[in-house]
Amino acid sequence: MKTRKLAAVGLAGVLVLAAACGSDDDDGGTSGAAGGASLEAPPADTEATLRVWLNGPDTPDEMIDLAKETFAEKYPDVSVEVERQEWDGLVNRLTNVLPTDDSPDIVEMGNTQAQAFEAAGALVDLSSVKDDLGGDDLVDSLVEAGTYGDEFYGVPYYGGARIVVYRKDLFEKSGLSVPTTMEEFVAAGKKLKADNADVPNFSGIYFPGRNWQATLSFIWDAGGDIAVNEGGEWVGELSSDNSIKGLSTVQDIMRNANAAPADSDDAEDYLAFCNGEVGMLMGPGWKMGQITGDDGCPGKYDAVLGAFPLPGSEGGVAPSFLGGSNLGISAKSENPGLALQFLEVLTAQQYQTEFAKIGLIPVRKSLLGQVQGDEAAQAQAKAAEVTRFVPSSENWAEVESGTVLHDMGAAIAGGADVTDEATRANDAVVEILNG
Amino acid sequence: MRRRRWLWNVVAGAVMVVVAFPVYWMVVTSFRPNAEIRSAPRFLPVGTLDNYRSVFERDHFWSSFANSLQVTLLTVLFALITAFLAAVAVARFRFRGRVAFLVVVLLVQMVPAEALMISVVKVLEGWDLRNSIAGLTITYVAFVLPFTVWTLRGFVTGVPRELEEAAMVDGSSRLRAFFTITLPLVAPGLVATGIFAFIQAWNEFTFALVVMDRPDKETLPVWLQAFNFGARGTDWGGVMAGSTLITVPVIVFFLFVHRRVAQGLTAGAVKG
Amino acid sequence: MTAVLPGEGTAPPAALPGGGRPGRSPRRARDRDLRRSRLLPYALLVPALAALAAGLGYPLVRLVVMSTQEFGLRQQFGAPAPYVGADNFAAIFGDPYFWDVLRRSLVFCAVNVVLTMVLGTLLALLLQRLGTAMRTALSVALLLAWATPALTATIVWQWIFDARYGVVNWLLSRLGGDYEGHSWLRQPLSFFFVGTLVVVWMGVPFVAFTLYAGMTQIPAEVMEAAAIDGAGPWARFRDVTWPALEPIFVVLAALSTLWDLRVFTQIYVLQQAGGITRDTNTLGVYAYRTSAGDDFGLGAAIALVMVGITLLATLFHLRQMFRSEEV
Repeated sequence: MKTRKLAAVGLAGVLVLAAACGSDDDDGGTSGAAGGASLEAPPADTEATLRVWLNGPDTPDEMIDLAKETFAEKYPDVSVEVERQEWDGLVNRLTNVLPTDDSPDIVEMGNTQAQAFEAAGALVDLSSVKDDLGGDDLVDSLVEAGTYGDEFYGVPYYGGARIVVYRKDLFEKSGLSVPTTMEEFVAAGKKLKADNADVPNFSGIYFPGRNWQATLSFIWDAGGDIAVNEGGEWVGELSSDNSIKGLSTVQDIMRNANAAPADSDDAEDYLAFCNGEVGMLMGPGWKMGQITGDDGCPGKYDAVLGAFPLPGSEGGVAPSFLGGSNLGISAKSENPGLALQFLEVLTAQQYQTEFAKIGLIPVRKSLLGQVQGDEAAQAQAKAAEVTRFVPSSENWAEVESGTVLHDMGAAIAGGADVTDEATRANDAVVEILNG
Repeated sequence: MRRRRWLWNVVAGAVMVVVAFPVYWMVVTSFRPNAEIRSAPRFLPVGTLDNYRSVFERDHFWSSFANSLQVTLLTVLFALITAFLAAVAVARFRFRGRVAFLVVVLLVQMVPAEALMISVVKVLEGWDLRNSIAGLTITYVAFVLPFTVWTLRGFVTGVPRELEEAAMVDGSSRLRAFFTITLPLVAPGLVATGIFAFIQAWNEFTFALVVMDRPDKETLPVWLQAFNFGARGTDWGGVMAGSTLITVPVIVFFLFVHRRVAQGLTAGAVKG
Repeated sequence: MTAVLPGEGTAPPAALPGGGRPGRSPRRARDRDLRRSRLLPYALLVPALAALAAGLGYPLVRLVVMSTQEFGLRQQFGAPAPYVGADNFAAIFGDPYFWDVLRRSLVFCAVNVVLTMVLGTLLALLLQRLGTAMRTALSVALLLAWATPALTATIVWQWIFDARYGVVNWLLSRLGGDYEGHSWLRQPLSFFFVGTLVVVWMGVPFVAFTLYAGMTQIPAEVMEAAAIDGAGPWARFRDVTWPALEPIFVVLAALSTLWDLRVFTQIYVLQQAGGITRDTNTLGVYAYRTSAGDDFGLGAAIALVMVGITLLATLFHLRQMFRSEEV
């Protein structure tokens, strides 16, 4: 059944479906599968319901309203039901609900989760309509997350690069200026820690052991990597000389400029910041907004907050892990053509510009240069120029759930030998990726 | 004797403090402003009601509450009835397949539930029972049944057989004797297993997450998850306030059945 | 199952369905009664069996089948699942890490079960000795511990032991210790100390309640008679309370074994808060992390292996149960 539907989807792209006109009147029966696979835009008077799953608080209500309004201009009789999903437990839900006839039409996946569902055949192949969704204007590393084999399934939705958020008042007190090289960055962190030794738990650079996304920046900056694909086989790079050089810098910061517990992660860094225990931290572009927002400490540090992209060792900007998410159309969707129309709204210039305003990266390269806004937005736009991604493999999720990189970071932060830990993590990663 | 009672009361008081402390900590936290939760400890439950406000204001709180209550009460009801009948069968009769039944039930209990998830969802999907109270109830009854059968069996064994036989001499049928004599006498067991089933169903998360995916069909534990923003941290105040509220119905249920049973036991004693 | 109870083999063959003509003679009536009472236990089992079959019948069969298949996300979305024989099992047993995890889990489970059962029994005895008001109060306190969602309870415990803001470090530091910023989760041993606290804390109320409920079944006259006979508290426990409680106690011990062996939430949440995961994985978490939600064949095999281990671990309880059953 599933294979038949997928085949139909594939065919749809090739045949351009002259015959499909009018076959989309949403009959809802199982016999509608073949007709439902059409990616052709349905007529404007179509009556249907689109179920859309968007995750977490990243898409504000106002943006959802904007998308609905825009879509209603074209399809006034379609009701779009946006259901918010939580990141925790999302993979379980997708795994169980996407194969059912009651599947949502559009789902959002984290960019490190998407590959597994693309490989499994859970999503509609959108290769034939990629140009309508942004084509070459889409940010490359997010397209990479949305591509399996040569097929394009996951449309980039938004991105987030990592930046450094810092306290200007503390910089001033210590006579520091914004660092322009990695070396200056590390030195500034150590100085801040020394100068604020009277504050309990103070971190010059807040860098808990499990913040592996931040760790990646240092590995990449030193010329290292996690693993590279050589002719279909993953070859480990974590224990290469360059990677170890990067990891040694990480250990230096964690041991000498940082007071975050070695075995914790960065989920609560904004609270430590609000407690006045942090000089600098490395986080996603929206971190500044989190600190000044209701979840953090509004008003407390608003005036002295600053942001800059993590500097590279040769100057410039260090590569940063590009977080973000992708959207896909469920292979079980009754209305893939309609769903595609909604996806076009979500990736259009107008809608994507809104993301830039709330500390996220729009997925269109043409918008990156136009990013306006606060220091964080500017810093992120710069960081976004040099973003990298984890190995594109359907098995990557297991590296994360197996906490390989978390354990490595926690051990390094605890003072373990970098080479030993890197070698151990390298072996584990290679085994999983090639498994 | 009275002096002894005084000693036990002191011991009980100490145990209460130790046992209830983490719950107390949860309640204290639920009154703290969010940004302050992860900072130096505070010992008194004073501060803000914002967290409770955000619980009540979040969409679908009441529908989730209603769903949870229905599923839980139905689970308790069905589990106790079926388990009582089965417990009587295995405790009072020697029949072919008795041991097999007990062992199979125990084996079922031994299977880690998570491993069955995709198949359970598939079955419910086939019956068109996803996103329905009935579907989740069927699953929960099956999961709590093994325990309730085994435990009630222990309680039925504890009821002297002679009491039933005496009733049968009086002209009662065997089945009738089970309901008139045995059932009231295993009331403490029914309460204990009933509370067990209640808490299991009330707090269950994993299956509720995938069986009930429509926003208006979610149960409370899944709904509570909405305070967890993944990478953007967690609204701990909301989680703690929500968890505090979630535990209240369990206590209410307990006090309710507890009084009923106390009355029932007294009534039975008078009758006997 | 071919196990036959002593005496079971001599049972007359089951009645023929619909056999025998309804007769009026007393003998026939007695026959009919006998047949009915022979069918009665089966009739009593029908609802339970139906509920189990409806809820778990197919999933259990499929679990066994899947354990011999390569069944991943692709198969979940409809691709055919190739049979791989015992490969999944070989992968588990061939992984040296699995044996580490198993050893760790068994020790953790043993410690927790013993603590849970001992403390639960003591608390049940305490409940028995209290007046109504105090007993209700203690019951509610126990119930609170039991009823708090496991996730929340574990988070609160983790906060209590939190390195920076935890009340335990706060207190110990004020008492003169050097516990500022001490991570309780960093060393596996102290990680499992915290884990044990959480698991036992959540497990004890249930054991105490159920055992206390069992004690209320013992007629007060029996206790009084024993007391009049001059039996001390220990003798009364041994000769009166224990024999009545044993069937329930054994069930509780078996169930605690089973739950503590595959404990998941408590360990997983603590792992997210700190520690080195690979040093603290227990069977339940290991199963989740290796199959990672997308290798269901391997997951099914691990589940079956866990059933086997649990069966071995509870064999002692089971033997005891069936033995006491037949005397």
